[in-house]
Formats: sequence, structure tokens, C-alpha cells
Amino acid sequence: MSESNSKQILSQLTDENFGGRDREIAKISAIASYGPSQPAMTDILLLGAPRTGKTEILRKSFDRLFWEGKEVLPFYYSLQESCLDPVEFARDYFSQFLIQFASFRRNDPSLIKSAAPSLSIMNGASAAGDYVCVRSMVDAFSQALRVDDVQALLRLALAAPATAAAHAGLKPLVMVDNWHLVLGTELLPAFLRDLKRTRQHRLVTYALTGVRRLLTQLLPADPEIFDRTEVIHIERLSDESLEKLVRNRAELLGIETTDSTIELIIQQLNRDAFYIRAILNAAASRGLSLRTFIEFERLYTDEILNGRIGQYFETVLRGITDDSSERRALLEALALTIEAGQPVPLDAVTDRVKRQTNRGEELLARLHSAELVDISYGFISASDDSVFDDFVQTKYRREIVGSAQPLAGEELLGEKLKQSYRLMMSRYNRATELQLVELLSRFDSQSVPASLFNTVSFESHYRGVSRANVRRALDEEAERVRVAQIVLVHDLGEGEQPGVTWRLFAATGFEGGIYTESNEVCWLVALINSKEPLDLETLGRIDQRLESALRGQIANVGVRSHTVRWYISKEGFSAVASERLASQHSYCSTYSHLDLIQDYLTRLVLGGETKPSSEFELVIPIEEEAELIAARTAEQIARAAEFDQESVNQIKTALIEACINAAEHSDSPDKKIRQHFAIDDDKLIITVSNKGKRFGGANGSNPPVGAQPSKGARGRGLQIIRALMDEVEFEHTDDGVRLVMTKYLKRPGNQ
Amino acid sequence: MSAAEIRFKLVDDAAVIYPGPYLNQLRGESIENQCERFLAEGVRRIVINFEETELINSIGISILLGVIESVNHSQGSLILSNLNSSNRELFEMLGLMSHVEIVESEQIALMKMSGEMVTAVL
Repeated sequence: MSESNSKQILSQLTDENFGGRDREIAKISAIASYGPSQPAMTDILLLGAPRTGKTEILRKSFDRLFWEGKEVLPFYYSLQESCLDPVEFARDYFSQFLIQFASFRRNDPSLIKSAAPSLSIMNGASAAGDYVCVRSMVDAFSQALRVDDVQALLRLALAAPATAAAHAGLKPLVMVDNWHLVLGTELLPAFLRDLKRTRQHRLVTYALTGVRRLLTQLLPADPEIFDRTEVIHIERLSDESLEKLVRNRAELLGIETTDSTIELIIQQLNRDAFYIRAILNAAASRGLSLRTFIEFERLYTDEILNGRIGQYFETVLRGITDDSSERRALLEALALTIEAGQPVPLDAVTDRVKRQTNRGEELLARLHSAELVDISYGFISASDDSVFDDFVQTKYRREIVGSAQPLAGEELLGEKLKQSYRLMMSRYNRATELQLVELLSRFDSQSVPASLFNTVSFESHYRGVSRANVRRALDEEAERVRVAQIVLVHDLGEGEQPGVTWRLFAATGFEGGIYTESNEVCWLVALINSKEPLDLETLGRIDQRLESALRGQIANVGVRSHTVRWYISKEGFSAVASERLASQHSYCSTYSHLDLIQDYLTRLVLGGETKPSSEFELVIPIEEEAELIAARTAEQIARAAEFDQESVNQIKTALIEACINAAEHSDSPDKKIRQHFAIDDDKLIITVSNKGKRFGGANGSNPPVGAQPSKGARGRGLQIIRALMDEVEFEHTDDGVRLVMTKYLKRPGNQ
Repeated sequence: MSAAEIRFKLVDDAAVIYPGPYLNQLRGESIENQCERFLAEGVRRIVINFEETELINSIGISILLGVIESVNHSQGSLILSNLNSSNRELFEMLGLMSHVEIVESEQIALMKMSGEMVTAVL
């Protein structure tokens, strides 16, 4: 599905649909704008995995610079396999440049969009001031054509941007896409000559991209080239950018989604924006919603087998070889490597391919270049693209093994449905794992409240206490644990059994800030996601794994003089398991303690309370329907804080109740209700205050959490507030009462 | 305090009431008055369509409970329709679901009522 707006000349996706590449585009523009006196890079190499949007980044850079119409003259050229003959290339490159130059100078993109005109017509298309310059370039080129001087043609074509830009007083940015195609052609030496020539005189900024595994083979080992080349690595879009992309796109196309399916779409499609767009377009064109896992998995299966994604892979494989028997041989090789699940000796796979074609090595090398397999040191392994793996395995089963086709449904659908739950769980686990690793890396000999490392003690001190009060009390806690200064965190592997998964880490560092072997310490950490409090038997099993992992560590790294064990279980520990942990002097925490430790360390750095990042205030009169104004304000603020729609509605409803409460139960002399909104990292805190004697509970008291509301409307109001917000507290002030309501952003693993 | 204007319409012998964007005390009382008028005029089948209703507060809900009681008391039937998910969640939380039937759309509500009528005639 294509769409465009008036600012798109060469780019094919709207900014919203492309998403999250502003930084790279701005960097290209900035490098192209460097003046000759700046000791900066002159050329750009754009490297990224397939489908990360390299082409679109260049096209968008062109559009942006075109409309800016300032000092940089952009030129975009995409090499084509059909146009690698030197004369054909020179003619095409030269004419494409002249069209784009004339369009830029006349600020008229319509010339670019029209069919490629002849050289003589281009003469006429030039802006008046450029006529003489363009005329002389065209004459020289025509002369070289007449005498069939291939080298002169290549030289004139490649030099055209520098010549024209010099005439117009502009800095040319030459963006060449599919540059890997010059490999093994006469174009490569011509390009390298021009790169060297323009580099010496700072005439042109080249931005080159293409298949990254081939691009790196093209540049000669010339230190000067590497010194002067800025390599921009195009990584996959972040989860946040992808989520935004999915939400915007789904909304634009009218596709219903949920938070869970959006998460699944992103993870299962390998965080690949191309696949995501393909799936959403398919859903839109078939009028499907993506509200449940099965709806998504059905569409995914169809897309892999017969849809856009399947067609895309077919085209990619045809690009590797036109010959269908060779493709069949490659399909077998691919299925073999995927099935193996680990690197396979390359010879074994090559021999297998050679049974059907004598181009075994060449074809496998092409698969490697296209990043469909990884070949390294005599071994071949499957790519990390699970979507491509699904395509290969399904196609292999259907077309080579000849498995019986089910009468209805697809084998892949069942497999993906089973995997989807596991995938989501591992995603949530990963988020917590990252949080733990980040936390360990921040351990720097701080003194942390001891109850955060002892679930029994924490329970006895803080059971039933609100989070805000726990935070305050922790600051006062006398008993402390001094954490080590961690310098290294190792992953020691994972394990699972029904209902429990765990991952083990070794965090090494020093105690007391003294860097000697005797002060070296290893924190062995087990992060356990269990649906129930961890029982003794599972703890024993995890302990064994920790022991063997520790032995492995010692064998690899050497003897540690001191180890500390820290068990972190999502739902805590059974009584017997807690006793065992206490007897072996191990630390034990829950996931929520991790948050509190993180929060505590942050406050230490900031030297006290963390300041909320944004704060707003609103005062409304006590009069009919004024609470709607508060609700609208809360809606805007909650949206800005990226709360989902359901939470936004809950916040609005709770705030309305709080305002009604304030209006009804206070003796407010100024007839006003004050609201304070504070957005913190992960939460929105709304404080509703009014002057007067009472608020909410009888005598202004804080109604006990969980108390049954009185019958009648106001009892329901408090019930609603408590049910919809995560934390609710009443606080007395000198001249009134305030209600503090907190809503946390939903986070993976905290749900 | 004068009651807020609310929209309603008659379909055969049933009435459909539209509470508007915010069901609060004011609109709740208007619904209550309107229902009393309907019942007095012999209209026993009432649908309240919440399609336009974005927000509902606890006072509105309390009045609605009163309306449900008085319709039941008059041997009438009341069905709520077109609730958005947040409002439905609110009703569930406060236990309204056990007092009144809630359906997806006004059309279904009216069909259910006409079905009841056919059963009664037979």
C-alpha cells in the first residue's frame, strides 16, 4: 500500500509510517553541510541489516535537503543490475543527475517524477543561470559518446555533481544506493578514483549504501579512506518507536489491536518494520482485526504461506538464483541449518547443495551476503530472522518433504500459537533481566536498606503499608547492606520447569572500594519468574544450577575469595524456602524490591526525593460539571505520559469522583478544588486538595484500605477511586485535606 | 435546579433514552423524571442507550439504580445498551450487572423487548 504527501519526492513512506530515523537523516545532512575548514568526515557509509530502511533514509535525506533548498545539493542514484554496462550506467547516472539538479535549482520536483528526458531536452530544462554550465557538460558528454570513450564517459558522469555544484556555489551530496552492485564491474575502479579525487579537494560528500556484507569488501584497505569515512550503523528501530509505528499505522488503517497483540506483533516479527507494515497492510486490505493472538497468528500464517511476506522471500530467493532446481537445493540447505539449531560444518551443507548444482559455494556465499545465513570460520548457521525461518520450514515441508496437507488449518498456525505465549513471557522476563543487569551495574558500594534483601523482614516491617510510605520508611531504616562495586556482569544461563523460569547471573566486583584479590567478590544472582512463592524443591534445583555455573565460572575466571548469593523471585518464597535462605545467609528479594532498590539508588544520586519530571496545577470552582474540566486536563496529561486508553479512562473517572467528593464533603470557604498533577518516570500522581474540615472518610480520617464502603453514592465514589487507581491516600493539611492518587504505567512483568 | 435536557424517542410501545455525554446527578435526575412520566403513560419498556456517554459518575449510577428499581416495581422492563468498555467496567465493579440487562446495541435491546411482547401475547 503506498501513500504519500506533497513533501515526498523520492521517499516512499510518510514520516509517521517510517518512524524513528530522524537522527540518521539529520546526521547525513550535517556531514554534507560541513565547510572545507572543518576537520570532519567527508563520506558516509550506511551499514545495516536488510530491511532496516537504508534506502528510505537516503530518499528522505534527498527530500529534506531538496525542500530546504539551501547550501547542499542532493543527488540520489540507485544502481540497478540491468544498468551496469559502463556506457549505459554513465548515460543513466549523468541524465539522472541533470534532472535532479534542474529540479533542485527550479525548486520543482515535477521534473524528477516525469519520465527520463533526453540530453537535449535536459538542456532546456535547466534554470536560466545554469544553462551555460549544463550546456558545456552535455556537449562534453555527447562528444565522448560519439567517440565511444568509455573512460571519459564514466569520468564525466561521476564528476557531474562536483562540476555543477561548483558552478552554483553548492555542496554536493551524492547518495548511491545498491553500491554493492559495482563489485566485479568496471564501475568500481571508476568510483574509487572519483572518491579519491573528490576527497582530496573536498568536492563531494558521498553517502553509500547497499548489501552490508558486500559493501565492506568494496573499500580498499586505504587508511585515508577509513579515516575520512563516517560509518552510520542502522540498527533496528527501538521497541518504543515500533510500538508507536504500529499504533499510528493501525489507527490510520482502522485495524483494531490490543496492547498484548501489539507486543506480540513486534516480537514475533523480529522487530522488523518491513514485516510489521506488511502484516498491517494485509490486515487492512482484508478488513481483519488483530485483537487476539489467534487473529494475528492466522494472518501471519497466511502471509508467510501466500501473502506479501511469502512473496517477498520468493523474490529474494529468485535474486539469489533464477534456476528453480538450485533454489530447491538452497531450500534444503536452509532447512537443514535451521533444523540443526546450531552452526553446522560448511562442507557438509556445500556437499549437499552440490548434489544438485555445481555452484554450491557461490550460492551459499550469496545467501550469506543477503544475510539469510551466517558463514563464519567453516561453519554455517541460520540467520536470526525467525520470520524467514518459518517461511523456509513451511515451504520445505510442503514442497520437498511433501507432508500431507491438513484438510483445514495450517501446521504453522498451531506452532505459532504455542510459541506466542512463551514469546511474550520471555519478552516480559527479558525486560526484568535488563532491569536487573542495569541495577547491578549501578552497584557502587552504596549502603541499601537491609529489608530490601530479606523478604521476611520486609513483610514484617511493611506489610499493608503503601508504597509511598515504604519509600519514606526505608530512608529511616537502621540496618543496611553495603553492596559491592560491580564491574562485570556475566549471564550464567537459564532454566525452567512447569510454572517457573529462571536466569542466573554472576556480578563480579570489589568490596570496600579496595581493588585487591582478597576484596574481590562475586554476587551470584538468580532471577526467578514463578507464579507461586518459590518452594523448597525448586529452590534446591536452582541452587544446583547455581553451583555448577559457579564451578564453570571458577574454571574460566579463577577462584573467587568470596561469593554472595541473591535470589529474586517474582512472587517471593515459601516459608520453608525462606528459612533455608536465611540459614545459608543468602539475600532474597521480590521483583517489587528491585524497583525499590532502583528507586533508592536513584534518590541517593539525586540527594533526596526524586523530582517528578513534569508538574501541572489546576484550580476549579465548586460548581456543576466543573469536574469535567479536571477530567479533560487529566486526559491530556495522562496521554502525554503515554498511559493507554483504558488507564486514561480510569484516571478520568477516579478524578471526577475525587472532585465530587471534595465538593460534597468539605466546608471549603473559597469554593475551590485544587489539583496537582505530577508525572514521574513510571507514574502519574494526582493530588486533589480542598480547604475544609472533612474529606472522604468520617472525621477526615483515612478510610482503612479494603474497608467496605458505606451504602449510597459517596461510598461508591471511594470504592471507584480505590478500584481504578493503584494507590490512594488521604492526608491532612493545616487547613484541609488532600487525596493523593497514584496510577502506574503498565510495564512488562508488572502486570 | 432545573433538570438537564435529555433526548428520548418512542419506538412502537418502547422508549429509548439517551443520557448524553456525561451521566451525573443532573442528567440522572432527568432520566428519573422521564422514566416516571413514561411509566405513568403506560410505557413499560425502556432502553437507555449510552452510545454518546463518555463518562458516568457515582451519583449518576445511584440514580440509575433507583430508576431500575422503580421500573421493576412497575412490572416494566429496562435494558441498557451501547456501553463503552470503561463504563461497563464501572457497572461491573458496582454490581449493576445483576440488577439490569446490558446488551450491545439499541437494536438488540428493542428486539429483545419485542420478543418479550410476543411471548406475553402468546
